[in-house]
Amino acid sequence: MRKRRLKRLILWLALIALAWFALDALVGWWYRRGPAVQVTATPAQIERGRYLVAAADCAACHTADGGAPFAGGVPLASPFGVIHGTNITPDAETGIGRYSADDFFHTITRGEARDGHQLYPAMPYVSYKTIRREDSDAIYAYLMTRPAVKQANLANGVGFPFNIRTGIHAWNLLFAGAQARPASQGESPAWKHGEYLVETLGHCGECHSPRGWLGQVDRSRPLAGNDTLGRIAAPDITPQGLAQRGWDRDALQAYLARGLAAHAVASDEMLKVVNLSTSRLEPDDIGAIATYLLGDRPPAPKALAAADASGDGTPAQSRYFALCAGCHGRDGQGVPHVAPALRGNTSVRDPNPHNLIVAILDGLPEHDLPGLERMQEMPGFADQLSDAQVAELSQWLRARYGGQSAQVSGAQVKGLRESGGEY
Amino acid sequence: MSQSSLRLKPLTLRINGRSYGPVEVPDDMMLVDVLHEYLGLTGTRFGCGQGVCRACTVIVDDEQGPREVRSCITGAHYFEGKAIRTVEGHAKHGADGGLQELSAVQQAFLDHFSFQCGYCTPGFVNAATVLLERLGKQPARDYEREEVRALVLEALNPHLCRCTGYVRYYQAVEELALKLPNVRVRAAAETPR
Repeated sequence: MRKRRLKRLILWLALIALAWFALDALVGWWYRRGPAVQVTATPAQIERGRYLVAAADCAACHTADGGAPFAGGVPLASPFGVIHGTNITPDAETGIGRYSADDFFHTITRGEARDGHQLYPAMPYVSYKTIRREDSDAIYAYLMTRPAVKQANLANGVGFPFNIRTGIHAWNLLFAGAQARPASQGESPAWKHGEYLVETLGHCGECHSPRGWLGQVDRSRPLAGNDTLGRIAAPDITPQGLAQRGWDRDALQAYLARGLAAHAVASDEMLKVVNLSTSRLEPDDIGAIATYLLGDRPPAPKALAAADASGDGTPAQSRYFALCAGCHGRDGQGVPHVAPALRGNTSVRDPNPHNLIVAILDGLPEHDLPGLERMQEMPGFADQLSDAQVAELSQWLRARYGGQSAQVSGAQVKGLRESGGEY
Repeated sequence: MSQSSLRLKPLTLRINGRSYGPVEVPDDMMLVDVLHEYLGLTGTRFGCGQGVCRACTVIVDDEQGPREVRSCITGAHYFEGKAIRTVEGHAKHGADGGLQELSAVQQAFLDHFSFQCGYCTPGFVNAATVLLERLGKQPARDYEREEVRALVLEALNPHLCRCTGYVRYYQAVEELALKLPNVRVRAAAETPR
């Protein structure tokens, strides 16, 4: 008797599951059908859309290296598996050719595609939630007037149970609603405009804010830095964090416009952001971003203490002369167009030695910056220096050129060396 | 910014099988300058000075085996107690200093007309020598021809040649690699279809 009851239960469950899938397929078909939309927009609207697409940095995830513009295929590593940017050209089958302006606005602000499926939060719809309708329409007009590219979206590598997209409804319920508190204090028009550029369009917090264990942005510490997303950490860009590393308005504006300031050269993901997005913005908008990041009353940038000479003649200094000084200079002054100055460098001054250690271990690729600016490749030293030697060198660099006296441990270097293969 | 004062440090190293030093050398001097200014070994070329062109490449023989090191961006004191080879160390010379025999790599470069102005050649000689010595120590096995070509490309690719002689450099080194006794390449006829 019990066996039979179990059998019946399984049969019912199977039937329900079958009905669910059938319904899902039907709904999907229902939404996917319909003609490709022909968009008519004024040149001004399209031009505005082009600008906003740069401000929102759509290309970073939707244009693959060497691929057709906006045709998708960019792999994004996440703790839950690889997610691919999708085709957002106006192709009816593989892109967004059947989207209306309403569909588009709904998708980018709610994270729900036209056919009803949930987008993974790798798409920053939580940031885009506050995008203005007229801006969404301009972006839509620009994208829909680009060449349609027929290119199927790549399968994602998200594992069970995170690949059940219905689960994202619950995630949204928990995490997508909370309104971010601003990362700085201000009320000027420039500050408010900057807030929109940073928090909404630029979605800076997606990388620069800490995240919880389900990948949700920690709303209580906006832009306070995140060293768990990629190999290179996104540093703290709160007013205090920036001022502590010596950043002021002028330096920030130079960095965002050209990827280069006395303090830093944009690297890794941020180099992409500068090349595809911030360098393409008007000076007023870049100024507004700097105003928002530092606040209406910016904290004074911390002056760098005179070089600490107590490490002279140590093995760490000898190692610096042997392996680093050839490009970064005897006094850490760097060489223009070749290697950045280490004295006052934002990663050397960072309380978190993460990026300094990673740079020493892995090296850095050559940098192609806006305009004709460039920086040369840096070799990695993982195979030449032990964990203790990297720690010693990092500590020496931080003390001498960064005003940081905290101990760097070999264990931290070991951890970063071992996690290197994961990226 | 405080400019640190010049400090000298004794340096001892082995170059091309002979001991040099101890000599007092500034603590931040790059190896290429020591080779040129202290030891009169001017065969090593100073190119970009940024570690990009590889004209300044020398060979270090240490526990990691023969390997390339860029002498323009590596401090001289890094080589304290180490054995290095420069382009002057490859050919055989008689007691009177006269040339007796070029190394296989040098001869192959001549035979293939690999270079024109020759500025990059010392770096290419050293890179090719390192590749062939390392490859020669591998256990004997069958290689695909394409695999050997790829190894040569990988080893020489970072070296810049502004006269664009690359192809003839690569052909010369590939020919030498194929002659190594432990590198067996199946003849085309035997390759299964």
